[in-house]
Amino acid sequence: MIKVNKLFKIFEGRNGQAVRAVDDVSTQIAKGEVVVIIGPSGSGKSTFLRCLNGLEAFDDGQVVIDGIDLTASKTNLNAIRREVGMVFQHFNLFPHKTVLENLTLAQQVVRKRKAAEAEDKAMKLLTKVGIAEKAHEYPSRLSGGQQQRVAIARALAMDPKVMLFDEPTSALDPEMVGEVLDVMKQLAKEGMTMAVVTHEMGFAREVAHRVLFMDFGRILEDAPPTEFFTAPKEPRAQTFLKQVL
Amino acid sequence: MPAKRRAAQWPWLGLLVLILVGLAAGLWFATQRIHYEWHWARVPQYFAYHDEELQIAPVAGVVLRINPTGADSRIEIQPEGGGQPVTVTVETETLKVKAGESVAEDADLGAVRSWKIGPLTWGLWVTIWISFVSGLIGMVIGLITGLCRLSPNPTLRWLAILYIELIRGTPLLVQIFIFYFFIGTVLNLDRTVAGIGALALFVGAYVAEIIRAGIQSIPRGQSEAARSLGMSATETMIYIVLPQAFKRVLPPLAGQFISLIKDSSLVSVIAITDLTKSGREIITSSFATFEIWFTVALLYLVVTSVLSQVLFWLERRFARSD
Repeated sequence: MIKVNKLFKIFEGRNGQAVRAVDDVSTQIAKGEVVVIIGPSGSGKSTFLRCLNGLEAFDDGQVVIDGIDLTASKTNLNAIRREVGMVFQHFNLFPHKTVLENLTLAQQVVRKRKAAEAEDKAMKLLTKVGIAEKAHEYPSRLSGGQQQRVAIARALAMDPKVMLFDEPTSALDPEMVGEVLDVMKQLAKEGMTMAVVTHEMGFAREVAHRVLFMDFGRILEDAPPTEFFTAPKEPRAQTFLKQVL
Repeated sequence: MPAKRRAAQWPWLGLLVLILVGLAAGLWFATQRIHYEWHWARVPQYFAYHDEELQIAPVAGVVLRINPTGADSRIEIQPEGGGQPVTVTVETETLKVKAGESVAEDADLGAVRSWKIGPLTWGLWVTIWISFVSGLIGMVIGLITGLCRLSPNPTLRWLAILYIELIRGTPLLVQIFIFYFFIGTVLNLDRTVAGIGALALFVGAYVAEIIRAGIQSIPRGQSEAARSLGMSATETMIYIVLPQAFKRVLPPLAGQFISLIKDSSLVSVIAITDLTKSGREIITSSFATFEIWFTVALLYLVVTSVLSQVLFWLERRFARSD
């Protein structure tokens, strides 16, 4: 589903120094696979994830989503992004739209669906994430956990083939983390292809098919969770796990 | 249970009243010192007046008869040299001739009276519509310029910067003169078009900066979320960024449009008869200098207050989603 080949993303530092946020990353994510990306902060895992839907323009390499090359000059990035859902750390719901409108807007504008069809789809998804009763509220009236579940539903409304999660629980109060993770677990069970950047080791252990450990912009370890959490090979992965577990 | 302690307000309110009364008294004494005679009664006629249009006999002859019809009277005159009788209609109250009376040509028969709009009302209307039209055009210019100002394209960006700096760095009065005497002459523009153009260009530069600030105040995450859903840059701007930005910039925009109404008084220098120019013209005939200027100021105040109330109401409506 996703093929990444020798990906580079270089930031210009303040003193003119080039920082390689993503440094020669190559990997693949198969259809229906759940891949969790972990690593210390500043390791480039979020930047890597944002390269996958072209939100971050990368400097070299290749990203292929469902057979379409992001870098090819003919590729319409907007057309690819509608197939790749993304959930952000800070939810990024549209504050001037109700919950329902948050879900229907892109369906109507991008997918050109009729209002009734879009609303129908939206209500189904809101029921699925358990907040159908808040459909006509504005996002500011919702708790963080509810907002993040709306954000997941909003991404799902576009019928994406892949879902990217950029630290979806990092901005939440601890008691709300569970409700969001539950939605994500259900999604994984349904066979959604997912790439998740997270600090939730429990989620990684329970749901992930593979764990990628990143540091300094490189993938240092790529292993199934049982193997990674019990016997990490990389010394840096070992120290990281010692600190977080 | 102890009540919440509150400092007493009334001594300060009393002081406020005292200061205001003192100011009013000072004003009164000042006008006494220069022996100014107030003629407030002269002011209302400049809002609207009862116009008398004299009706004269078109021919010399004899009044055959007078037929009253409602408040009017139809006077039939038999011309001296014979021929068909001529009819003139006047208001009965102003009737000056009787049946059988002979009248000379151009003789005064009476008058037709009607309410006419005075120059103050007319000037007020000109000020309102000139401000409205130039505000509308300025809003469009400002929106486009604001977007260009944020464009990644250097040509668009620098054109926008140049325009904004040029307008903000020169006085409006000078811009009006340049627009009227130079551009207006080259393009053969009517003075009203030149005035509106100068005001629109002026307000556009300020609106552009307000819009730019508004767009930049919307968090990046908003457009990222929209783009991640597959929306194009334009769709993101239209559906996500601009509605939120507009809500945020409504207070500074309101201030800008209130300024525009006041600044529109400067177009009187190119002989557009707006409220200010009307005021100046009235003073030359009424000699009620102080009264007219106070009235003109009050009219501007009324217009700007109404606008600020409307925008305040709009602001509260937009605050629903907060």
